[in-house]
Amino acid sequence: MSQELTDAIVEMREDEAMALVKSMLDGGADPTTVLEQAKDAMTELGRRFECEEAFIPELIMGGEIMKNIAEELKPHLKGAGVAKKRGTVVIGTVHGDIHDIGKDIVVMMLDINGYEVLDLGVDVPAEQFIAAIRKNRPRVVGLSGLLTLAFDSMKSTVEAIATAGLRDQVKIMVGGAPADKQVQDYTGADGWGNDVGQALKLCAEWTGGEA
Amino acid sequence: MSPTGEELYRQREQRFNDIVALRKPDRVPVVPLACGYFADLWKGHSYKEAGYNHPQHYAAIRDATIEFGWDLSPMNSLFAADGYEALGITQLRWPGGELPDDTGFQFVEDEYMLADEYDEFLADPNGFTVRKIFPRIATNLEGFAQVPIPPLYFMANTYYLLNVGGPLLGAPPIRKALESLLAMSDAVGAYFAADAATGAELAALGYPRAVAAPIIPPFDMVSDMLRSLRGSTMDMYRHPEQLLGAIDLMEKAQIGLALMLIQLTGNPRVFIPMHRGAGGFMSEEQFEKFYWPSFKRLVLAIIEAGGVPCPLLEGDYTPRLKYLAELPAGKVAGHFDKVDRLKFKEVLGDKMCFWGNVPLSLMCTGKPQQVKDDVKELIELFSDTGTLMLDSVTGIPDEARPENVMALREAADEYGVF
Repeated sequence: MSQELTDAIVEMREDEAMALVKSMLDGGADPTTVLEQAKDAMTELGRRFECEEAFIPELIMGGEIMKNIAEELKPHLKGAGVAKKRGTVVIGTVHGDIHDIGKDIVVMMLDINGYEVLDLGVDVPAEQFIAAIRKNRPRVVGLSGLLTLAFDSMKSTVEAIATAGLRDQVKIMVGGAPADKQVQDYTGADGWGNDVGQALKLCAEWTGGEA
Repeated sequence: MSPTGEELYRQREQRFNDIVALRKPDRVPVVPLACGYFADLWKGHSYKEAGYNHPQHYAAIRDATIEFGWDLSPMNSLFAADGYEALGITQLRWPGGELPDDTGFQFVEDEYMLADEYDEFLADPNGFTVRKIFPRIATNLEGFAQVPIPPLYFMANTYYLLNVGGPLLGAPPIRKALESLLAMSDAVGAYFAADAATGAELAALGYPRAVAAPIIPPFDMVSDMLRSLRGSTMDMYRHPEQLLGAIDLMEKAQIGLALMLIQLTGNPRVFIPMHRGAGGFMSEEQFEKFYWPSFKRLVLAIIEAGGVPCPLLEGDYTPRLKYLAELPAGKVAGHFDKVDRLKFKEVLGDKMCFWGNVPLSLMCTGKPQQVKDDVKELIELFSDTGTLMLDSVTGIPDEARPENVMALREAADEYGVF
């Protein structure tokens, strides 16, 4: 039974997954266990994404199934949230850029992988990153961007974080389609990534856990 | 005696055609596919001016073409901001609209058509576009949703044309929408007049235009424009047949448009920006089902009509190289973003020329020597066949450093003469 739900999600059998959740609940299963099994599926999808056996559609669709399951479980969980234990990540698309597809996928997968994620949205000015760092004391800050104007925006955000005296407290990753080592060096970030796998790896490394 | 504009034009066309046909040219050309804000910023104009002042924008592209020694002039990739304004466009944000003057325009991806509207769209695509899509992408076209519009065939006779069509066109919301459309048309008319004037000027000086206006692949027409990445992704699992129906419809429209553009512009080079087919965006199974077949038919139809398909493969298309190898050799000018160069050479080196691929990050944040080193590496890789054209990944990046753009030319002269 336990593997069945995980498999149904991993293989994108949405209707079957939802039916399984209902029958598990009807059979008196612990809703926390059901949620854990669904999360196992997302972890497996993340692993498959890493080795190019799964792709963005599986992550998006898996996330959608996961959301529906969480919705279904809500009344049964009685407010007992799942503890986040892997550290906090503050993330946003930098000032001047309003693209969010890549960032949203990273946010979803970080969340599923147990991080406390604070998503500041798009077109985020440096001051907002600084305020969020002061308030939430994250270990990792993620700066996202698709446009070439984002390079300078990322650079000035990193500089502003340094000027605010917060640079030593955080590791900064820059991400998005055009990101590379050159962009990391230019912006003064600590790491870079083109996809969610690289973001997960960096966060794990910086919070002292496994990807 | 230096060659005349006409001779230069012919030479440059010939060089481009030779490279596409896999014949070794005399030298490696610099061919920026497209130019958006770069030329304006280089001239000291704002992003906002670039979108509104069309003669100034096109003049900047003309001057950049000459100054930076481009072999062909790039396609302009900005649209008329006064056209957006006339319609109250909400599908884009632009400097002078909601965005500040110092930032470029950006597309707002959303589900402009909902999943449960496929059947309605497929049954009456034109009516759906007018009644549902137009009001969702432009505030000044909301009148089309406020007044019930009968199917147009209803008016295929004098009686209903006058007695239904007349009052319909007189309804204030419809009138406002129609007037907005006419104002948009005026703005776009001035924009195209500037485009034509610059095109003629550059042609007389010996610069052919790289590519004509874009033809978007059928899958991307649905995913980018109607359903969004998220929506089209769900559709692959939840509504595959309807998604394929919409792709099929878009394929017919895009083939028709491509052939019309070749006729209208006299430019055989058809620009095809590819988005969602990139590696990572779908599995091979999904690519083979949803992306590749309609794209391939589009490319073949353009070749059949005597055109040169110029796909811009945005993202990393390394995992798709084997599919590209199915296309006829020497007929397609593939412009690449992040592909693995060595892998390209191995899989497609004897089938397709290589265009682009100098990284955005180098152009915008690197030093000229880094750009030259990168170009040198490309030229060495393709020195046996010479089937290479230089450019960054999607044309000249808006925020490219001018000295790095110049480095493309210098590197071509230094290393690229065969």
